[in-house]
Amino acid sequence: MGNYFSSERFVNIFPKVISCLSVNLHIVFWSMFFGTVLAIFVAVLRIRKVPVISGFLGVYISFMRGTPLLVQMMIAFYGIPLVLGNLFLNVFGINLNRLDPVIFVEIAIILNEGAFLGEIFRGAITSVPAVQAEAGYSIGMTGAQTFYRIVLPQAFKVALPHYGVDFIGVFQNTSLVFLLGVVDVLGKAKTLGAATGHSIEGYLSAALIYVAFSLFLKAVFLLAEYKMNNGTAKVI
Amino acid sequence: MSFSMQNFYDSFKSALLYAPVTIKLTAITFIVSLIFGAVIATIRNYRIPVLSQFFAFFVTVYLGLPTMVALLIYNLLFMTLYADVANAFHISVPISDVNPIIIGYFTLIIGTTCSISESIRGAFRGIEKVQYEAGYSIGMGRFKTLTRIIFPQMIPILLPGMQNSLIGLLKASNLVSAISVVEIMTGALLPSLLYYSYLEGYVAAALVYWIIGAAIEILAHFAEKRCGKYLKIATES
Repeated sequence: MGNYFSSERFVNIFPKVISCLSVNLHIVFWSMFFGTVLAIFVAVLRIRKVPVISGFLGVYISFMRGTPLLVQMMIAFYGIPLVLGNLFLNVFGINLNRLDPVIFVEIAIILNEGAFLGEIFRGAITSVPAVQAEAGYSIGMTGAQTFYRIVLPQAFKVALPHYGVDFIGVFQNTSLVFLLGVVDVLGKAKTLGAATGHSIEGYLSAALIYVAFSLFLKAVFLLAEYKMNNGTAKVI
Repeated sequence: MSFSMQNFYDSFKSALLYAPVTIKLTAITFIVSLIFGAVIATIRNYRIPVLSQFFAFFVTVYLGLPTMVALLIYNLLFMTLYADVANAFHISVPISDVNPIIIGYFTLIIGTTCSISESIRGAFRGIEKVQYEAGYSIGMGRFKTLTRIIFPQMIPILLPGMQNSLIGLLKASNLVSAISVVEIMTGALLPSLLYYSYLEGYVAAALVYWIIGAAIEILAHFAEKRCGKYLKIATES
């Protein structure tokens, strides 16, 4: 058991593992980008209470919140080629079965984030007191002006901490993608472990990368929050 | 490849059969984590030297570690070190007879304890200082004030967060499938393995998770209504 962990192997393996961090960041970036766009639509439609769509969105959010992300990824991975496979093959000439699994992972996370961020945005927008909107109307602003100039900036400040937590959550959730055969940080660690017969160094590298980057993201969002609060005057 | 209702039905039945595994894993982990989380939050709230700094550091770092990575590391350590430890304690159970779910319990309990301790710490801030003083003024000790005055008032503040934690835990319990524990998802896949059609299995698993999640949401809704009762009375009078 003496040579169970060797710092030499750790130093050797760490650069190989961290080189795959770009895969994780790629997933995080595109998922958060499209997830945020989707969430804005979800939040607006939920607040407007559009008859049929609102009910549908309720079911969608309940499903996304109530089922594990891994199951959602797997359903996207097996289900999307089944439902849309023929269409894509005939119209665009793309065989969905040959597509990189990263695409399906990203679709699953985008749909998942659409629900979670949608609820965060909705909560943030509804948390702005009605008197704020009335203040806008009272000085003759239109509905759109009131929303963009008065409600949205205040809602943004409410949503930011939750958005940060969610962002870090998405980064940590990318640790699941190796189960679909994507070679990310953890996938690389596992592959190298299987090849060399020494897994612990690779896993510890992955753990170190995840912890360090999560803390880094947390610091970035705390800084952003701090900057946001600079503008508020203290009510005396 | 197509979606077969018969396979879906088989998978659903199989998933239901393994639902107790997931429910037990979720419930026990939640209760144990709640107790540990309360202890850690209390230690940090009263700023007990050394321990509070240690937990502050540990919780911050540990929350950066994804459950899956932790699970794989503990599983690996368990696999390689079990024989030595078992020998040292004269345990004669071979590793093949040990259910890997105990690694799942271990991982989930540590992770959930950290996140719950943070929510409880947040709830501590929601209690005004006068409440402690009220307890001390009628001669209650620190411990009695905590259990009789502070904790009961924290329950309504905590409930929404605890509901999220519980559903999050239900979903996180799905990860133990990676260390070959048979729970809802792997259970739902058992019939699929015969036909090489996995979609039905995953959809069935999703449905079972959804049902359990909805049940938790309904229960939490009632709990919230009940716990908030005294607040309403206080404001109305």
